[in-house]
Amino acid sequence: MSASTAATPTVREGLEEVAEERALLDADDQRGRARLITQFAACLGAFLVLIVYILVADLTSVESRLLSVETLLRLSWEHLLLSVAAAVVVVLVAVPLGVLLTRGPLRRFATPIIAVAGFGQAAPAIGLIVLAALYLGTGKGPFLLALAIYGILPVLANVVTGIHGVDPKVVEAARGMGMSAFGTLVRVEMPLATPVIMTGVRTALVLMTGTAALGGFVDAGGLGPLINTGIKLGLDSVLVVGAVAIAALALFIDGGARLIERAATPKGL
Amino acid sequence: MSLWEYVQDRWSLLSFQSYQHLSLVVQSLLIATVVALALACLAYRSQRVSELALSVSSVGLTLPSFALFGILIAFIPNGIVISVAALAFYGTLPILRNAVVGLSRVDPGLVESARGMGMSRTATLVRLEIPLAWPVIVTGVRISAQMLMGIAAIAAYASGPGLGSFIFSGLSRIGGANATNSAWAGTLAIVVLAIGLDLVLNLLGRLTTSRGIRV
Repeated sequence: MSASTAATPTVREGLEEVAEERALLDADDQRGRARLITQFAACLGAFLVLIVYILVADLTSVESRLLSVETLLRLSWEHLLLSVAAAVVVVLVAVPLGVLLTRGPLRRFATPIIAVAGFGQAAPAIGLIVLAALYLGTGKGPFLLALAIYGILPVLANVVTGIHGVDPKVVEAARGMGMSAFGTLVRVEMPLATPVIMTGVRTALVLMTGTAALGGFVDAGGLGPLINTGIKLGLDSVLVVGAVAIAALALFIDGGARLIERAATPKGL
Repeated sequence: MSLWEYVQDRWSLLSFQSYQHLSLVVQSLLIATVVALALACLAYRSQRVSELALSVSSVGLTLPSFALFGILIAFIPNGIVISVAALAFYGTLPILRNAVVGLSRVDPGLVESARGMGMSRTATLVRLEIPLAWPVIVTGVRISAQMLMGIAAIAAYASGPGLGSFIFSGLSRIGGANATNSAWAGTLAIVVLAIGLDLVLNLLGRLTTSRGIRV
């Protein structure tokens, strides 16, 4: 790209490229919005269907003891709290740790840790949950710990990748302007890495919602016990209501996290 | 009894269940790869259908596997059929996403040249587009394999085969002898299998990548 030969076409091409990119982004935004609305509508629809089913269906006395609108809503709320609590722990640990791994002497540990994180998903969540229950007992505490351990590696990988993805020239420019290393991190690198980090946070939330479904195995509450009880007693209605509610909740949380993701992304990006 | 003694003591059962676990994952992965490639080839030429495929993949991955197992248990009596169906479903999603993205990223200029040289659409797809998108597709297969290894552990609860049985038997004997050994053996064996399968898939991917774009 030599300026002397074709300055004007290059500039025009550049502008066209920018305009094209903008159009693509706008289209993506529109689609994203339509998708979010469909997603929320589908979740609410699923919950309404479940509630109507519970009210209308001819349930046996055992089934109606296990299933009531009040129980469904209470367990869903409990499930939501469990997943969010686990995700908060994950974010509180993984984000500072990820930032540390991109600084100074700790930098050389970043690559091996990301390599290990790749296998994190292969470690079966149910294995971690059962081990936590064996060592620390059943109930919510050990369960949350197992969930958090399961979720930390993927989010950590995203944080490190996000910060590594920031153009080194931008960092150099910030330092050249006289910003401190910390100032550069907080005001340049973190905002630029936000989209990737937020994707990691959303992944954590969704992962936690799905994994929290295993709570029925260790008496940790949430919607999972409906599936376990349904299987144990051969009550398909209880089982299916639990499963559908968990799926709808996961979609709902994914939609909510997408909203947060949008709100948290700096305007310039 | 230490974990090591436990593993030695139960070696025949452990190796049998490991074989079952691996075979369940690999077979479901094969089904998933074929289905995902077929869907991607149908989808990638149209932007709208590609977007639909990508949305299906991302929504599908949001659905908790335990919930899907639950729904399948209500309708299918056979544990093995449930396991294969659930694993094939989850396995398809990342491969479909990667295949659609990989195929749509092939330089349109190259496709036009191939068409201009008189290659048919099928020939262009088989001899040009799929080979160029292959590394991305293989990455999708590896991601799927890792995920399926973990999901397959739950299959044992739906009376399917695999190493999950070690984890669940540890759970049902909480406080009893060897409960922790059993859970550790199941969990660690799954991780070992996952690493091994990933190495093999990585090697296979390299060998099947067209020589011109091998890195």
